[in-house]
Amino acid sequence: MKRFAFNKKTKAILGVFAFPIVLIGLWQLFILAGFSSARFLPPPYKVLQKFVILFSEPTYSHHIAVSLQRVMIGFFIGTLAGFLFGLLMGLSKTAEKIFAPFFHAIRQVPMIGWIPLIIMWFGMNELPRVLIISVAAFYPITLNTFSGVRNVPREYLELASVYGFKGLTLIKKIIIPAALPSIATGISLGLAMSWSVLMVAEIFIQTALGVGTQIQRGRDRFDIALVIAGIITVGVLGYAMTVLVQKIVQAVERGRVISTEK
Amino acid sequence: MSKKFIQRLGLKDKLLALIVPLLVLAAWQGAVSQKLCSDLILTPPLTLLNTLVELAQSGDLTLNILASLKRVMIGFLLGGTSGFVLGILMALSPFLNSIFGPLIKALQQVPEFAWMPLIIMFLGIDESAKYFFVAIGAFYPMVLNTYQGVSGVPEKYHELARVFDYKSFRYLFKVIIPSALPSIITGIRLSLGLSWMFVVGAELFGSDSGVGYLMTWGRAVFQIDLVMAGLILVGVIGFAMNVLLEIAEKRFLLWREPVDGRPV
Repeated sequence: MKRFAFNKKTKAILGVFAFPIVLIGLWQLFILAGFSSARFLPPPYKVLQKFVILFSEPTYSHHIAVSLQRVMIGFFIGTLAGFLFGLLMGLSKTAEKIFAPFFHAIRQVPMIGWIPLIIMWFGMNELPRVLIISVAAFYPITLNTFSGVRNVPREYLELASVYGFKGLTLIKKIIIPAALPSIATGISLGLAMSWSVLMVAEIFIQTALGVGTQIQRGRDRFDIALVIAGIITVGVLGYAMTVLVQKIVQAVERGRVISTEK
Repeated sequence: MSKKFIQRLGLKDKLLALIVPLLVLAAWQGAVSQKLCSDLILTPPLTLLNTLVELAQSGDLTLNILASLKRVMIGFLLGGTSGFVLGILMALSPFLNSIFGPLIKALQQVPEFAWMPLIIMFLGIDESAKYFFVAIGAFYPMVLNTYQGVSGVPEKYHELARVFDYKSFRYLFKVIIPSALPSIITGIRLSLGLSWMFVVGAELFGSDSGVGYLMTWGRAVFQIDLVMAGLILVGVIGFAMNVLLEIAEKRFLLWREPVDGRPV
């Protein structure tokens, strides 16, 4: 993502503001020039109006809260499971040989493919939604925890044996801190996947609440302003979450020390 | 990772690898034969195999797979080509990069499936909407990887091209693209993988043919064997596409040896 950044910071800030303004201007011009009827593509101010209406009612914030909660629960379960599973496969070659082939085989099936089956198994309710969100987070976190743990430098392990670290102490003091950058990458990827799959969950597994549901509802009512407002909401929230996680990851990594205290 | 993994596998490892699948199969068959859960909810493995064979014999299998593959190909060509061209342009022109860079970054924040309702409103629920949706999926990895590859072309290659006075097309096809090829091929692989995922999504959304349709239909008539057969097809075809591309990648990049003669 960084590679699209401008070289100077001021330029970057300017670019951030310039871009949406130009885009909105083009959008408005497009309509003024009569390329599209207002019903088909509403002018920008209509979408803004929609935002004002949406946020003046408590229901839209509630939809957002429900979506965020859904992602957080699924992401938390997926992260925990992926971390433990990746750790297990990273620590034990036998566990890797037993589980990894099956894991890689299952991973070949795109998340979307599971939708019809899990709807049949669990019905159209909260469980399948949270389930696919957690599975989406599970894959990248498992893979990255695994490779992080497997690639702990040999010197660290030698150091650990000098200090007589074993079992849980070894994992807690040496392996996890050393694998942290990789685990952090997995967590960022996992969050992005969760957020992306949230849309799948809310659009395909019908529900009353959630931002994805709102987009779908906008389509049913042919309310394009609502659809666009929903898409913008989803994009902004996803971006905010990515940035937040990046900041947390950076903070954790700055404080990362390979501790030698028992 | 999975490639390295397969190479490392010995016989003992192969046996270990079979443990989980066999346990799953046993539990699956056991659950059905012990009536732990109804075969309406879980098709026994053998019945599932039977369903696949029946689908193949009736011709439905080929027909639906071909329908999906056609959509993947068209969508992938549309999205992949535009991503490829834009990636090269952005890497070569800072001006275009400053225009499209932020745009792509902003659009990328939106999960692709959130576009689905809008696309259907604009294009209707027919083929063009599916092509477009697949194209969106194919576009991002292609533009990002092409951009990365082309901007990473070493300066000495550019200098050499200037010495030889290579311009425009010759410069592009003799220097830029060959040098960026590894990254471009990674883009193609990611792009095709996502195209496959998105075609299934588009077909689940509303369609009258394709592997995704097979599953929606199975769900509608409560034939879980069709749904599970569809799921297996989705996985197997996705896997096969990836393997084919890996083989192609090896062929294409055989020439690629760095200066010290060490194969990459």
